[in-house]
Amino acid sequence: MASNKKYWKSVEELKKSSSIVEKLKQNEFVEEIPTDQFLGDKENLTASSTSRRDFLKYLGFSTAVASLAACEGPVIKSIPYVVKPDDVTPGMADFYATTMADGFDFANILVKVREGRPIKIEPNKDIATGITNARVQASVLSLYDENRLKRPKANGKDTTWKKFDAEVVSKLNEIKNAGGKLVFLTNTCASPSIGKLIKTYGEEFGNVEHVVYDAVSESAALDAMKEMYGVRALPDYDFSKADMIVSIGADFLGDWQGGGFAPGYAKGRVPKNGKMSYHVQIESNMSLTGGNADKRIMVKPSGQIKALLKLYKAVVNGISTRENSELNTLAGQIVKAGKKAVVVTGIQDKNAQLLALAINKKLQSEALDTVNTRNVRHGDDAKVKQLITDMNAGKVSALFMSNVNPVYTLPASADFAEGLKKVKLSVDFAISNDETAQLSQYVAAIPHYLESWGDVMIKKGQFSLIQPTIKPLFDTRQFQCSLLKWLGKKESFYDFLKSNWNNNILAGKSWNKALHDGVFTKEFEVPEFTSTVDVNAAAKELASIKGAKRELTVYTTAGMGDGQQANNPWLQELPDPITRTSWDNYLLISRIDAEKLGLKNWTVDNGALNGDLVNISANGVNLKKIPVYIQPGQAPGSYALALGYGRTDLQKEMNVGVNAYPFSGKFFHDLGVVKSPGEHEFACVQLQHTIMGREGDITRETTLAEYISKPKEEWNPEPKYSLEHQEVTEDKVDLWRKFDDSIGTKFNMSIDLATCTGCAACVVACHAENNVPVVGKHEIRVSRDMHWLRIDRYYSSDMSIEKGKEEGTFGTGEYFDEMTHPSDAPEVSFQPVMCQHCNHAPCETVCPVAATSHGRQGQNMMAYNRCIGTRYCANNCPYKVRRFNWFKYFNNDEFDYNMNNDLGRMVLNPDVVVRSRGVMEKCSLCIQKTQATILKAKKEGRPVRDGEFETACSSACPSNAIVFGDINDKSTEISKKEEDDRTFRLLEFVGTKPNVFYHLKVKNKKEA
Amino acid sequence: MSHYEAPIREPLILGDKSYHDISNDIAAPIEGKANKWWWFVFSVAMIAFLWGIGAIAYTIGTGIGVWGLNNRINWAWDITNFVWWVGIGHAGTLISAVLLLFRQKWRMGINRSAEAMTIFAVIQAGTFPMIHMGRIWNGYWTMPIPNQFGSLWVNFNSPLLWDVFAISTYLSVSLVFWYTGLLPDFAMIRDRATKPFQKKIYSLLSFGWTGRAKDWQRFEEVSLVLAGLATPLVLSVHTIVSFDFATSVIPGWHSTIYPPYFVAGAVFSGFAMVQTLLIIMRKVSNLEQYITRYHIEMMNKVILVTGGIVFVAYLSEFFVGWYSGSLYEDFTYLSVGAATGPYAWAFWALILCNSVFPQLLWFKKLRTSFTFSFIMSIIINTGMWFERFDIIVINLSRGHLPSSWTQFEPTFVDIGIYVGTIGFFFVLFLLYARTFPVVAQAEIKSILKSSGNNYKKEH
Repeated sequence: MASNKKYWKSVEELKKSSSIVEKLKQNEFVEEIPTDQFLGDKENLTASSTSRRDFLKYLGFSTAVASLAACEGPVIKSIPYVVKPDDVTPGMADFYATTMADGFDFANILVKVREGRPIKIEPNKDIATGITNARVQASVLSLYDENRLKRPKANGKDTTWKKFDAEVVSKLNEIKNAGGKLVFLTNTCASPSIGKLIKTYGEEFGNVEHVVYDAVSESAALDAMKEMYGVRALPDYDFSKADMIVSIGADFLGDWQGGGFAPGYAKGRVPKNGKMSYHVQIESNMSLTGGNADKRIMVKPSGQIKALLKLYKAVVNGISTRENSELNTLAGQIVKAGKKAVVVTGIQDKNAQLLALAINKKLQSEALDTVNTRNVRHGDDAKVKQLITDMNAGKVSALFMSNVNPVYTLPASADFAEGLKKVKLSVDFAISNDETAQLSQYVAAIPHYLESWGDVMIKKGQFSLIQPTIKPLFDTRQFQCSLLKWLGKKESFYDFLKSNWNNNILAGKSWNKALHDGVFTKEFEVPEFTSTVDVNAAAKELASIKGAKRELTVYTTAGMGDGQQANNPWLQELPDPITRTSWDNYLLISRIDAEKLGLKNWTVDNGALNGDLVNISANGVNLKKIPVYIQPGQAPGSYALALGYGRTDLQKEMNVGVNAYPFSGKFFHDLGVVKSPGEHEFACVQLQHTIMGREGDITRETTLAEYISKPKEEWNPEPKYSLEHQEVTEDKVDLWRKFDDSIGTKFNMSIDLATCTGCAACVVACHAENNVPVVGKHEIRVSRDMHWLRIDRYYSSDMSIEKGKEEGTFGTGEYFDEMTHPSDAPEVSFQPVMCQHCNHAPCETVCPVAATSHGRQGQNMMAYNRCIGTRYCANNCPYKVRRFNWFKYFNNDEFDYNMNNDLGRMVLNPDVVVRSRGVMEKCSLCIQKTQATILKAKKEGRPVRDGEFETACSSACPSNAIVFGDINDKSTEISKKEEDDRTFRLLEFVGTKPNVFYHLKVKNKKEA
Repeated sequence: MSHYEAPIREPLILGDKSYHDISNDIAAPIEGKANKWWWFVFSVAMIAFLWGIGAIAYTIGTGIGVWGLNNRINWAWDITNFVWWVGIGHAGTLISAVLLLFRQKWRMGINRSAEAMTIFAVIQAGTFPMIHMGRIWNGYWTMPIPNQFGSLWVNFNSPLLWDVFAISTYLSVSLVFWYTGLLPDFAMIRDRATKPFQKKIYSLLSFGWTGRAKDWQRFEEVSLVLAGLATPLVLSVHTIVSFDFATSVIPGWHSTIYPPYFVAGAVFSGFAMVQTLLIIMRKVSNLEQYITRYHIEMMNKVILVTGGIVFVAYLSEFFVGWYSGSLYEDFTYLSVGAATGPYAWAFWALILCNSVFPQLLWFKKLRTSFTFSFIMSIIINTGMWFERFDIIVINLSRGHLPSSWTQFEPTFVDIGIYVGTIGFFFVLFLLYARTFPVVAQAEIKSILKSSGNNYKKEH
C-alpha cells in the first residue's frame, strides 16, 4: 500500500510561490557555503593560529581515533533466518517423538528442539515404555560431545567416505569370492529394519552370522525363558499387580533386565484401602531397590543362591515346617499371597533364572507376563564366546561391529583383541574412538541417535521409530546407511525404513501418524509351547555352586550404566543415589570386612571423604590401588565394583575409576584383597549419613499398621508452638502480616516419599533444563556441587534417642558419635530436596540488595543481575539449597566441560540465563516453563489445564512422585495432594511455610 | 596553674615531668629518626600487607572459590576476621568517649593510640564485607543511592545493610573525634617544627589552631558532644554486627543473647589489643612514664569484667541450648556436640583462651606484670578470633539437615588476606607512631600535677 500521507517541512511550503521552496528544489543548501570567503582570503589563512604543533595534534588525535575505532569488542553474531524454515519459529520449541535405543537404555522420548537444536529429553508419557532415567535424560549432551568421532578412519588415519567405501567394498568382495565368513557383532538393537538388512546380507553373501552382544548381559534370563516359554526374550513384570514382591539380588528399580519397572512398583507403594505391597529384598550390595524395600535381608552372593533354592523348594515342593527361619516365614508369606506374589532374581545363572520363573509359574503370578516380552536384551554369551574362538582360529574373515566395545567390556577382552588381529576385515561402527575402534582396521563414524533414522521393538508388538532431530553434526554415516551402500543399493536408509514399515509393519496405517506418535502397536499371535525343562535338575546344578570367603560382584550405577556415556559430564557429576559419590567407582565393602582388613574411610579437614586403597585379584585379573568405600548394608563377605568406569579413550577429566568388566561374565568371583599404601580422594556430596534423630522434622515415615489404625496426629503431627504458655498451631504465631496470594496462580510442588525411588532422573533433568554448570571432581569433593535438586539419602543408626536415654549416654559425646554411625543393616530413606520456595523465606529478608524476593506465584525468585554475592541467603537457608558460582564455570579452561566449547554449549537452554561468577543460583520451579505454559493458555484464550504446569523434575519422574501445579485451583491434583493426610513440610517448625511439601513414606512392616 | 594536688593520689605520669618535658617526649619520635627496629617491623608488616593485596587481587580476579568456602559454609574466615577487627575497634571509642564521660583521668595516657587503633582496625574490618562479595564491582548497590536501575532500592530488612550503616557511622564519628583531639597536638608539633616542609604539613593538619581561650573552650565542648555521640555507638555497632547472626534461623546463630554478649566480647578483645600495642609502644617510643603499670592494671580490670560477662554468656548459651532439649542445639558452637566433634579443638581453644586463662588476672601480681599482660592480651585476641570462627563455622557446618553437614579448611588465600590485614594494620600504626603525637599531650598536661608531693622526686 503506497503511502498517501504528505509530510510538511514547514509552513513555507504551503505558499504557492515561495522563493525558498523553489530554491530548495534546486539546491541542496539554502545559502551558499562561504568556501571562497574562507579559503580565498590568503592573508587570513596565513594569519590563522593553526600552528605546526596544532596540526600534529590533530593528526595524532585523528590517527588515534581512527585506530581506536578499528578496535572492536568481541562480536557475537546472531544471524536471522533469511528464509525461515517452516517448522522453526524462533523462541518456540518443537517436540519430536523418537526413541533412544543404545543397547542398554531403551525409552520412547520426546525431544525438545529449539532453533534446530535438540536441548532436552522428555519422556513420551503416552507409551508405557516412555520412561526416562538419568542416562536417557543426559543423552542429549552426548550428542554434543567433543570426543565423538567426526569422520571415518582407516587404519587409524582419517579418511573420506568415498575411499572408505571403495576399500571396504573391494575387501568384502574378496572375502565373498573366497567364501569367507562375515559376522555382525551388534548390541541389542531389537530393530526390524536392521534385522532385515542383515538378512539381505545373508542372502547376498551366504556365510553371514549375526551375534548380539550386551556388555551387561542378561543371557541367563534369556536362556531360561527360552527353555521355559520358548521365546528368547525377557519377561515383563507389572509390580503394581503384586502384593508381595520378593527380589533376590534383582535391582529392578535400577537396571535389572533393562529397568523401567519403577512406575508399576510405585503404584503399589501408596496405601490404598489399607493395602500396599510388601517388598522383601535379599541382596548383597545395597541397591536402590534394597533401599526402598520393606525388609532387606543381607546375604553374600552365594547366600542369594541358597535363599533362592530354599524358596524354590518351599514354594514349589511344599513348605518345610521343621525350622522356624526367616526364609521359611517368607516362603509362607509368598504362598499365602499366591497369585499376588512375584519372585524375581538377579542371579546371573540360567538355572537360577529358571527357578525364579518356576516359582512364579507355580504361583501363577499375575505380575509376570511372558507373552508381551521385552526385547531390551538379546545378547548371547555362548555365541560371543564361540565368536572369539572362531576369530582366534581364523574362521572369521570379516567382522562388522556396531555400537559395541568388546575390547573394553568383555571379561576376556585380550582374547578378543588377539582374535581381532586375525580377522581380514574389521569394521567398527562407533560413535567414539573407543578401545575397540582403536584396534579395528576401519572405523565408520556413526551419528548419535538424535541424528539418526531407525526403528526398534522395545516390547513385543510395540514398534517404535527413531527419527533425527538435527542434521548430523559431523561427517558421520549410520550403520544402516553403510550396509545399504555396500550392498550397492541406491535407496536411502529412510526410504528403506519407510518401505519396510509400509510393507511389513503398518499394514496400511499411516506412516506419518506412526512417526508423530513415535510408536505403532500391533497384535502378535502367541505360539503354543510346552516346556520340557527339568527345574529340579536345574536346582541341583545350581546348588553345586560353591561360595567363597570373599565374593565379588559387579553392578551398574544410575549414572554410568554400562559406560557408553562415560564422557558425559552430567552423568559423571551425578552423585550415586546410594553412595552419593560421583566421578568414581570404588570397591564396596562392609564395615566388618573393612575392620578386618584394616581399611578406613575418613573425612579430612575440609570435610571431604578419603579412603584407603586396596589391590584386588579375581578371575585371574589383578587391579592395583582401588579405593574402598565402606557401604552400610553391604553383606559381610560380599564386595562389589561398578561397571562403566575406567575407559581410556575419554577426555582427561572424565577418565576416572577402573574398569570392572574383567570381573563380569559370572555371577560372582572369588576375591583376593590386600591393603595398598596411599589414600584416595572421593567426591562425595553427603558426609553425614544418618539423620541424627531428626526424622520427625525431615523425612517422616510410618508403618502401614500405624497408618491404618492410628489417628493422623500420631504418625504425622503438626508442629506445635508455644504462645503465652499455650500450645498453638503455626497460623497463630506469625511475625509477618498475611499476604493475600489467593488470586491468580500459586505454584506448589508435592514430593511423595512413598513412591520416590531415588533414581536421580530428576537430578539430570534439572541439570539439563536449567543450564546448571558441571564443576568437576574437586569442587564436588569440597561440597561445591551445583545441582539445584539433590536427593538426600539417610541411613538409620543403631543408636536412637530412646536407646541413648536407656543406656544413660544420651547427650554425651559418645552418644553423638554413635548417632553419626549408620547401622550395619540400615533402613534407607531418600528425599529429593530443592529450593522449598518458602512463603516466609529466610533468604529474602537477609539479602542487602533485595536480589532474592518473592514472586506473586509463590516462587522464591533469584534476580541474578542484582546479586552481589554476599552469600548471606545461602547461610540463612535451613535447607541449604542455594548454590554459589564460586568461579566462572563457562569459557574457563579450569572447568573444561560442556560449557567450555562451542559444541557443548549447543545444549544450553536459551530460555535460562547462564549465571556469571559471583552470583547465587537455585531452583526457580522452572519459571521459564510455567511462564511459557501461561502464555500458551493465554494465547489460546483458556485457563491452564490441570497437569499442564510442569517442571523438569516433575516431568522426568518415572514414578510420578513429583507433582506440580496451581494450588489456588482447587480442582487440580496438587490441591488434592495438599489435603492428603500424609502431607508434611520439611522443617515445618522453623516457620518458613514452604510451597514444596512432602508425603511421608509408609513402610509395610510385617511382624516377623 | 594551680591544681588541687591530693596528697594521697598516685601520679598518672611518673618521672616528675615538667610541661616542657612532656612536649619533648611526645614530639621526640616525630622529630627524630626511625631506628632499625622500626624499619624492621615496618618491612615485615609491609610484606604481609603486600601479600594480602596479592591475595585480594587473586580473589577478585579469579573468584571467591579460591577461598576454602563451600555451598554449606558460605562464610568463614572472611566474616570471622570482619567481626574480630570490628570488635578490636571497640576499645578506642570506649576509652576516649565513655571514660571521658566517667572522668577517668588515666585514659589520657592511652586514648590517642587506642583511638588510632580503633580507626585502623575498622579499616581492616571494612575490607572483609567488601571482598567477601562475589561481585565486588557492584558493591555500591548496598548504598541507598538514587539510581537508574528502575525502582531498585536496598533491602532495609537485611542486617547486612544495617552493618553498612553502622560501620560507616562508627568509622566517621571515631575519625572526627580522634581528629578533634589531635588539633592542639598538631599545633604543638607545628610550633616546634624547624623544617619548612614539616611546618607546612603540620600547619595544614592543625587547621589553624591558635590556642586561644575560645579555641580551648570550643575544643572542650566539641569533645564532650562527640563523646556523647560516640558512646551509644560503642553499644550499637557490635549489637548490629551480632544481628547478622541473631536474626537468622540457623541453630547457634538464632540467639537473643547475642547483642550484649557481642558488645562485651568486643570490649574484651579491644582492650586486649590496646594492651598488646601499648606494652610494645611504651618501650619503643620511650613512653614508660606515661603508660604505667597503673594503666595496665586498670585495663586488665576492664578485661576481667568484660571477660566475665562473656564467660557468663557462654555458660548461658551452653545451658539454654541444652535445656531447650532441641536436637538442633546439640551441635551449636557451645554444645556437647561441638566439644566432642571435629571442631573440638576450636571449641576448647575458645574456652581456654577466653574463659580459663583470663581468670589469672584476679591475681594482682599478674595483672600488674607487663610481660604477663602482654601474653594474656595475645591469648585473649586468639580466643576472641576463635569465638567468631566457632560461631560462624561450627554452626554452619552443623545445620538443620544432616545431609548438608560438612567442614571448612582455609586455603592459602584465606590466610593471606588475614595476615595481610594484620600487616596493613601495623603499617598504619607504625606510620602513625612516627608522625602523630601518640599521647594526647595537651590533655595529659592537665593531669600532671594532680598527685601528692610524696610521690615526687622518688625516681
